[in-house]
Amino acid sequence: MRYDVVIIGGGLAGKTAATALQAKGLKCAVVADGLSLRDVDLKEFVAAGGSLFSGDRVVKANVEDGRVLSLVTERLEDELLVADNYILATGKYFSRGIVADMNSVYEPVFGLDVEADEDRSGWFDRDFAADQKFMSFGVRNYGQGRVALEGVVLTNLFAAGEVLAGITGIEADAKEIIVKSALDAVANIN
Amino acid sequence: MQKQNISEFNFEQCQKCAICTTVCPVLANNELYPGPKQAGPDGERYRMKNPVFYDEMLKFCLNCKRCEVACPSGVKVGDMIQNAKLTLGKRSHVLRDTMLASTDFVGPLASAFAPVANLALGMKPVKAVLDATIGVSKHRTMPKYSSQTFESWFKKNKQSEQDAYKNHISYYHGCYANFNFPQLGKDFVAVLNALGYGVHLLDKEECCGVAMISAGMLKQVRKKAQHNVDIMKTAVEAGRKIVTVSTSCTMTLRDEYPHLLEIDNSAVRDSIVLVEKFLYQVISKGDVKLVWKPDYKAKAAYHAPCHQERLGLGNFTIELLRMIPGLELTLLDSHCCGMAGTYGFKKENYETSQKVGKELFDGIKAVNPDFVACECETCKWQIEMSTGYAVKNPVSILAEALDLEATAAANK
Repeated sequence: MRYDVVIIGGGLAGKTAATALQAKGLKCAVVADGLSLRDVDLKEFVAAGGSLFSGDRVVKANVEDGRVLSLVTERLEDELLVADNYILATGKYFSRGIVADMNSVYEPVFGLDVEADEDRSGWFDRDFAADQKFMSFGVRNYGQGRVALEGVVLTNLFAAGEVLAGITGIEADAKEIIVKSALDAVANIN
Repeated sequence: MQKQNISEFNFEQCQKCAICTTVCPVLANNELYPGPKQAGPDGERYRMKNPVFYDEMLKFCLNCKRCEVACPSGVKVGDMIQNAKLTLGKRSHVLRDTMLASTDFVGPLASAFAPVANLALGMKPVKAVLDATIGVSKHRTMPKYSSQTFESWFKKNKQSEQDAYKNHISYYHGCYANFNFPQLGKDFVAVLNALGYGVHLLDKEECCGVAMISAGMLKQVRKKAQHNVDIMKTAVEAGRKIVTVSTSCTMTLRDEYPHLLEIDNSAVRDSIVLVEKFLYQVISKGDVKLVWKPDYKAKAAYHAPCHQERLGLGNFTIELLRMIPGLELTLLDSHCCGMAGTYGFKKENYETSQKVGKELFDGIKAVNPDFVACECETCKWQIEMSTGYAVKNPVSILAEALDLEATAAANK
């Protein structure tokens, strides 16, 4: 299926990006794994002609020469999602936008470059109430939500919201930070 | 050292966020049901220790799988509950459940005596007796049976022409198109033929078993499932896709067989495709041409059935319907209709079933469409009975909107 933009993630960042891009007259699709804001806040997006793939998740991305070509999802199987541009707004650990295993922290869909300590012992503070470093781990932001794969900045994929390094989602003004990051990412797309 | 483990149904991935409880249509309407979190991962923890912790109230789960669609952690909540019901549930109302679930046993009988069966099932005294004796709700309008099954119509009128087409598919029609509403099967054949596809029956298709799974008839349903996988293998080996019209059959054939019944369908799973996805793909690839009737005009409201939500293929239906010039399409908010196959027929569920469907019914009335577009046969029964609006399968809508002769000529 072909779109101008595919947004991965239906939380605050994904919804903000989707509605902003739709307002620019672009044909958008949102892939939202699990219920987040989708049923509440994406109604208008759908009513205005946006496509929502709910309960579905991107399992693989086809990337070539610094460009995302298409996405494979769990439910659509052989029917690829194809777009000119893509937004990654999958959140952090809870929504599996960022995954931590015993020895590494990674972004599971594209394998994007992340900011995270290599040494596990530096991930957390044993003092429960202290700032926990792992909370700010995430995809490395090369400015305006641009992201890279093994050091090569991708030309048509932009990240927004908590999936980015430095955004924890627990800041006092977390909502403003997330919305701003989504609008930054959207600014790359015309 | 902490170990990573993968359990059945992704059980250990549950984070106790309880978002599944917010989408469960039963929990909101029936206080006896503990809800998907308690019935699912919470209860599973105890059941794994000792089956004595199995709660009979799990029978109220209508298997809509909305909990699974909502789960952000990939826990197969619905499968977990169905599995507990299948393996630990006591079967009450054995006669009724067997009758409701054995669609391809009752179907031929009712079809053979269709005029009598339809008349009798519509009569108040008969309904009162069914209510009092076996527990089928007297408030329910019973589905009509057709005196000629789809298969006998097809063999008599269409089968001999099918080899002449350049492409071929196998058609899993399901019990509903065969016994209750052959027009759906006829529309399917008309559309596929017009697009240049020969339609072939499977070698003695049996019921997918979705209702038997609900009724806990494990032994019978595993036999049917194995038979269906075997006959589908033959079709796949002949290079044919198996095209389905019912979302519930599709979910059962593709996902419930391996997940709940432990029937290996890996040789055929990828070849089983819902008709809306099949049509969207051949149309978008440019393999076929469509000629629409110039004067077609209608206002439709699309209701995505729960099992379509679970399959995640609703956008194919929406895109197909949007292709039809003259069709004004409104997308209804996603709510369960409350029918859930045989669930709504049962006396103890009738009231819950109507309460669950209320939001959907109100939504339809607010749109006031010419008809509701929906892929599911049991949603059709519920919506038609409870709102009075006609429900049409997208395939039937296509059959009406396409100039079938001109389309056939364009795809020769």
